[in-house]
Amino acid sequence: MHSVMQQPFKTAVLILVWGWLLFLVLAPNLLVVGASVMTRDPVSFLSLPLNLDAYRQLFDPLYLEVFLHSLYMAAMTTLVCLLIGYPFAWALSKVGKQRQLILIFLLIVPFWTNSLVRTYALKLILATNGLLNSALMSIGLIDEPLQLLYTEGAVIIGLVYLLLPFMILPLYSVFEDLKQELLLASHDLGAGRFSTFVHVIVPLTLPGVLAGVMLVLLPAMGLFFVPDILGGSRNLLVGNVIKNQFLDARNWPFGAAASIVLTVTMAFLMFAHRLSKRRIGEEGA
Amino acid sequence: MKKLALAGMLAVGLTGCSSEEPQVLNLYNWSEYMPQEVLDRFTEETGIQVVYTTYDSNEAMYARLKLLDDSAAYDLAVPSTYYVSKMRQEDLLLPIDRSKIEGFDNLDPELVNLDIDPENKFSVPYLWGTTGLAVDTADIEGEPVTAWEDLWEDRFDGRVMLTNDMREVFHVGLRVLGYSGNSTNPDEIEAAYEKLSELMPSVRTFNSDAPRMPYLEGETDVGMIWNGEAVMGKDTMESLEYVYPEEGIIAWLDSFVIPKNAKNPEAAHQFISFVLQPEISALISEEIGYATPNLASRDLLPDEVANNRASYPNATDMINAEFQTDIGDDALQVYAKYWEMLKSGR
Repeated sequence: MHSVMQQPFKTAVLILVWGWLLFLVLAPNLLVVGASVMTRDPVSFLSLPLNLDAYRQLFDPLYLEVFLHSLYMAAMTTLVCLLIGYPFAWALSKVGKQRQLILIFLLIVPFWTNSLVRTYALKLILATNGLLNSALMSIGLIDEPLQLLYTEGAVIIGLVYLLLPFMILPLYSVFEDLKQELLLASHDLGAGRFSTFVHVIVPLTLPGVLAGVMLVLLPAMGLFFVPDILGGSRNLLVGNVIKNQFLDARNWPFGAAASIVLTVTMAFLMFAHRLSKRRIGEEGA
Repeated sequence: MKKLALAGMLAVGLTGCSSEEPQVLNLYNWSEYMPQEVLDRFTEETGIQVVYTTYDSNEAMYARLKLLDDSAAYDLAVPSTYYVSKMRQEDLLLPIDRSKIEGFDNLDPELVNLDIDPENKFSVPYLWGTTGLAVDTADIEGEPVTAWEDLWEDRFDGRVMLTNDMREVFHVGLRVLGYSGNSTNPDEIEAAYEKLSELMPSVRTFNSDAPRMPYLEGETDVGMIWNGEAVMGKDTMESLEYVYPEEGIIAWLDSFVIPKNAKNPEAAHQFISFVLQPEISALISEEIGYATPNLASRDLLPDEVANNRASYPNATDMINAEFQTDIGDDALQVYAKYWEMLKSGR
């Protein structure tokens, strides 16, 4: 099967991939790990000796509170994304090929604009004398402008807006793979619509749900510019703490330790995702 | 960075036909802190293109300058008061060659040879200003606001804005309690935190990009503002007043410095001299509302600028005023912790 041409091409691709992973993924992460176990230094940012002080500081009730609030906002974001994304992805898999292409295209178009710019645009919509309030007032639904901007709700709206496609795309792919025969079989065996949904569709799309949750939950805790712009620099995310530690407090070890906690959480979620996939795979076999 | 590259390309493109390499000055400045006209006129006069990049906090500027290698150097930056001494002590600055600077003698003797840089070997004052109270008189009823303390009143619930600047916000908390805004005493800082956390439910937003905007957008009606922003804001919204709080104003002085890895210190010197011309200093002060330390330019200012109390405070306004000083790293950590607590508080 191997042609002569394939071998050098394969080698080149492998070198590229491994090189990429080593220099752009592994090396920066090792630097972060390294920074997290060093001592903070007011002049050169980092110094010896090595220690775990930064990690100990993470257990400070203050940072625990920030982390929990951040997790709460990220979880709300994920939930909203799931509630919108699940039916959307389902419907997407049902429409004709031509329409599907158009819809996916529309889903991806916003990525062509920088997310920071889009967040500012959202600010103009949510502002006290912004588009939404003007529209609601002109149709007479409200008399006084609503306070939308600089609230927790505004932060969650911003996060949902930026992250929704990351929920829809993996869900769409599992709905695409959903075998029509299984649904027919479920129906033939006497299961109603609800029963089919709970016992067949949900378990089969679970890997997509988990993938979507992973792609939304963790980034939602890191997008520091969203609370900065839409939350009035309040309703902080873990990302804000990391940014503040690097910039304002100049405590690099602590900032690094906080970002490692995020990475480890992500790894843990991916591990859970794999486990669930394997389990479903076995059940299917 | 992309913007920077683009501006650079543009600069190269514009002078692409000349045989000589075009000279470029990389200027790193606060956002909305230099009229475009000044940059254009400098280019016109000297042929040096200006690549203009901005920041919104001393911390961001400091971190950037500290980490940059030679490939992306800035030729001129504008740190505030105590950052000049910090950067000087950390050997991040090139000495300024006074023989290449014209017009240094125009500067207010009270604003040179300060503790931050005793003989001005490393810095030349650019503008100075204050952080005080902004009041939208159209939306505020009742007693006029005259003190920082007034922000704590119930009637301002959800209508207060603070600058997104740790030192300034704590300055207010410390002054309300009667302490120095430059306190390094952990107990006083904690007390200020307790006091400020009572204010937090009223605070709608923190802003240091353009502190006038939340007032103009109608999101907030009372709070902190920089005097220049107040002057610029008043152009759009007549009802925006700048008030000198009884506990004392926060004062600062921003100075030109040349970073150690500057590629074109020559152009940096030229630019400083250019700005020190009375006519240019006057233009800047008139345009962006901050006070120029250039005494020779005061006579050139239109009366409405020179007599604008927001830009040029009188002696009474400056009673209790305090300049920010370097508080050292230990105190900084204390502030940073309480700052984080303040902003994450429910």
